[in-house]
Amino acid sequence: MSDDKKNDEVLLLDHDYDGIKEYDNPLPRWWLFTFYITIVFAPIYVYYYHFGPGLSLSEELDQNLVKIEAQENLTQEQTKKLSEADLLALINDKQVINEGRALYNKNCLACHGAFGEGLIGPNLTDNYWVHGDGSLKSVLLVISTGVIDKGMPEWGKILSPKDLQNTTVFVRSLLGTNPKNAKTHEGTLIE
Amino acid sequence: METKQTYNDKIVKAFLLATIGWAFVALLLGVIIAYQMAYWQANFDLEWLTFGRLRPLHTNAAIFAFAGNIVFAGIYHSTQRLLKARLFSDVLSKVHFWGWQLMILLAAVTLPLGFSTGKEYAELEWPLDILIAVVWVVFAINFFGTIAIRRVKHLYVAIWFYIATVLTVAILHIVNSIALPVSLLKSYPVYAGIQDALVQWWYGHNAVAFFLTTPFLGLMYYYLPKSVGRPIYSYRLSIIHFWALVFIYIWAGPHHLLYTALPNWLQTLGMVFSLMLWAPSWGGMINGLLTLRGAWDKLRTSPIVKFYVAALTFYGMTTFEGPLLSIKSVSALGHYTDWIVAHVHAGTLGWNGFMAFGVIYYLVPKIWKTKLYSDKLATLHFWTGIFGILIYYISMWAAGITQGLMWRAVDGNGQLVYPDFVETVTKIVPLYQVRAFAGLIYLIGFLFLVYNIYKTIKSAPSDQPEEVFSAPVIKNKKGIEFIPKSHRHFEGLATSFTILVLISVLVGSIIEIMPVLSLDSYVSEGKKVKTFTPLELAGRDIYIKEGCYVCHSQMIRKLATDVQRFGPASTIEESMYNRPFQWGSKRTGPDLARIGKKYPDAWHYKHMINPRSVVQQSLMPNYPWLADKKTDLYILRKKLSVMKNLGVPYTKEEVANADILAEKQARQIAERLIISGGVNASVEDLTRKEIVALIAYLQALGQKAINPEGEL
Ligand code: HEC
Repeated sequence: MSDDKKNDEVLLLDHDYDGIKEYDNPLPRWWLFTFYITIVFAPIYVYYYHFGPGLSLSEELDQNLVKIEAQENLTQEQTKKLSEADLLALINDKQVINEGRALYNKNCLACHGAFGEGLIGPNLTDNYWVHGDGSLKSVLLVISTGVIDKGMPEWGKILSPKDLQNTTVFVRSLLGTNPKNAKTHEGTLIE
Repeated sequence: METKQTYNDKIVKAFLLATIGWAFVALLLGVIIAYQMAYWQANFDLEWLTFGRLRPLHTNAAIFAFAGNIVFAGIYHSTQRLLKARLFSDVLSKVHFWGWQLMILLAAVTLPLGFSTGKEYAELEWPLDILIAVVWVVFAINFFGTIAIRRVKHLYVAIWFYIATVLTVAILHIVNSIALPVSLLKSYPVYAGIQDALVQWWYGHNAVAFFLTTPFLGLMYYYLPKSVGRPIYSYRLSIIHFWALVFIYIWAGPHHLLYTALPNWLQTLGMVFSLMLWAPSWGGMINGLLTLRGAWDKLRTSPIVKFYVAALTFYGMTTFEGPLLSIKSVSALGHYTDWIVAHVHAGTLGWNGFMAFGVIYYLVPKIWKTKLYSDKLATLHFWTGIFGILIYYISMWAAGITQGLMWRAVDGNGQLVYPDFVETVTKIVPLYQVRAFAGLIYLIGFLFLVYNIYKTIKSAPSDQPEEVFSAPVIKNKKGIEFIPKSHRHFEGLATSFTILVLISVLVGSIIEIMPVLSLDSYVSEGKKVKTFTPLELAGRDIYIKEGCYVCHSQMIRKLATDVQRFGPASTIEESMYNRPFQWGSKRTGPDLARIGKKYPDAWHYKHMINPRSVVQQSLMPNYPWLADKKTDLYILRKKLSVMKNLGVPYTKEEVANADILAEKQARQIAERLIISGGVNASVEDLTRKEIVALIAYLQALGQKAINPEGEL
């Protein structure tokens, strides 16, 4: 303590600014050390990523995307593989329909109406289809790939294969329900 | 020769009172917009009260009104004493004061009315930018004039920091604001796309550096030793960390743009220089805290010292977190989230706010020649403030990291776990509620200050003579005690010192900005995009006016999860005609860079009028007035011609027929809305409405590739 005090006296400079004085303590060593480390790091980092083996951001992204695309293709295959019969087998499954209804309310209701009567998007309760032939399989594909030009999103990118399937089954359950305020028929009639 | 002189303390009083008034406005606005994020109803369906317009007002008020006024008060008070000279000119001081308040007042009117450049922290339109520049020059003359007439040979470290502030803010403001006017309150910047992004964040980051850091360090170097009566810990440390800060800070701007379309070399520079900033920043904190050696008991007894110590601690925390967030992989998680909001508020509420409060509690009794009304109340303010900041910080930190993790969460198959964006928003709404409450607490703490200061000033003697001082004139400013090559010598040469500061900040600026000024060298011919149609441009200006950029980004980063969620990464070419760029810095809502054609027009119509009619959990405000207000189509000719002058390749015919082309496109959209969207209106009526122009713009985003099958 007293050593400290003596030391301080020595380190006190003759500076005086409106009564403020200054010591001339040395730079804390750990502080200087961190500063040096960050300075040394800079050229190493620059060398590694710009002149050495480091990947650029685009290269890194491309590598990651290759893996992801492979997986996405796999999922799409899975959806495509589902047959009309697979889907038909589900149309009386209460749980599938309930899950489908929840998904419908969250994702589809805004455009197709609370009862599938059609709003921004077409009526889903009649036998007229704008895209596809109204089969379960074709409905599944429209949901999955979307109709980008008309504003139908590509739900295959957002929903899992199971969710796509359940939504499809629920949409089928709307067929022929004749809701109020139904939108006029669009597309071609398919019996 | 020693003549008796007085200090100009009237101006200090004026700036102090302005600080307190504007601080209240800035904090209140903060609390209001925090509640708007927690409860969308708090937007009240009123255009000039929506989040998008109030948020810029909040940030501008906090930075330029609150921080600005306390900085001027502190600089004017301490500079006079440190230089033993009355301010250079009383007239300039007054012009400075009233000019600045006028600017703030005009900002408070124009921003809610939607007159905005769409560049963060630089939203004010060109006439106001000119006013700021003029007032700043007045300030500079007054400041450097005072240095010229000083009666102390050497400049103290606080003055070094003030010099850096005065010079650099002028450069930042002027360079970033260069624009061509379209009308009295609308302009387009001379920079486009990556240029605008780079210049804007060079400005934005260094506004933090030279408006919120260097002047406050200067204040710290004066008011802290004054309050504790101890010498500064290390003169040497102050030299090193001053020059390191001034030289390094200016390079760090691109850390706001990691993984974006900004060229890689700039991103790398931004990151490595940010890391190098860590130690120089801590130099200031260390020098401040160690100055308290031998006086730590004051921390217990003096509320003022409490405020300073807490402020320095927050400064240390923030300047550690800053470099951390500049590391690319950390930025990948934190960028666009509330983590950044947490970070800046630790800085503004903790560092700037608490420094300001400490200075106010110290200065008001001093220059009003009385005693602080209540130390106890000041201590209560301190603890209330700390409590508010901590809850604020923790809640936003948790919100940011939670949402960041949800955005990047993928399942075993590499698919996004939360592909539905709004799910990630709903999750953090409770934290928004906590944050709003935290802001309210901080505001209440501030009200204790208001009352305390009111009582203090009331108790002041009515006779307020200015403080008298006398100091001998320095006879030979150049010659005395010449020590070759020493910094000390240099501290006596104000002009050379200033020039060296100028060079230090110019080096990084020039190296980073110059290459990007030739945008063409970064654009590849095959990836060029089409220009916006006149109607889309009108819609874009509505997007800017409503401040959609405060909640929406338009920049899909080079990250797999960004690409999975929003589509291919954004390119340099896609924003090459964007004046201003609208990449955004926060994703409260989803990225919109590729929103075009994702939904039908009618979806957007419903969504803009009431987002909850299509997305139940949305917290986006309603924009019903967009369906009432008319787009000014006539001004489009002028707008296109300004754009053309700036180098956007519009043809003569497009410019001459801008309004007709816009009307035609608007009519098509209106017809579609009525036929397939069930919108109840006549085509005539709907065609002219703002909402139609905005929809045209949204549908064009990401759809401007000239050759869509190509690489885009
Ligand atoms: C308070 C923040 C906020 C503001 C301001 C805001 N939005 Fe949003 N926006 C959101 C949120 C949250 C969502 C996600 C939920 C939803 O779809 O409504 C969203 C969604 C959207 C979407 C749908 C995006 C998608 O991919 O589904 C569009 C389009 C949109 N906003 C446009 C705008 C426009 C145009 C403005 C300005 C007039 C604006 N927003 C202002 C928060 C905001």
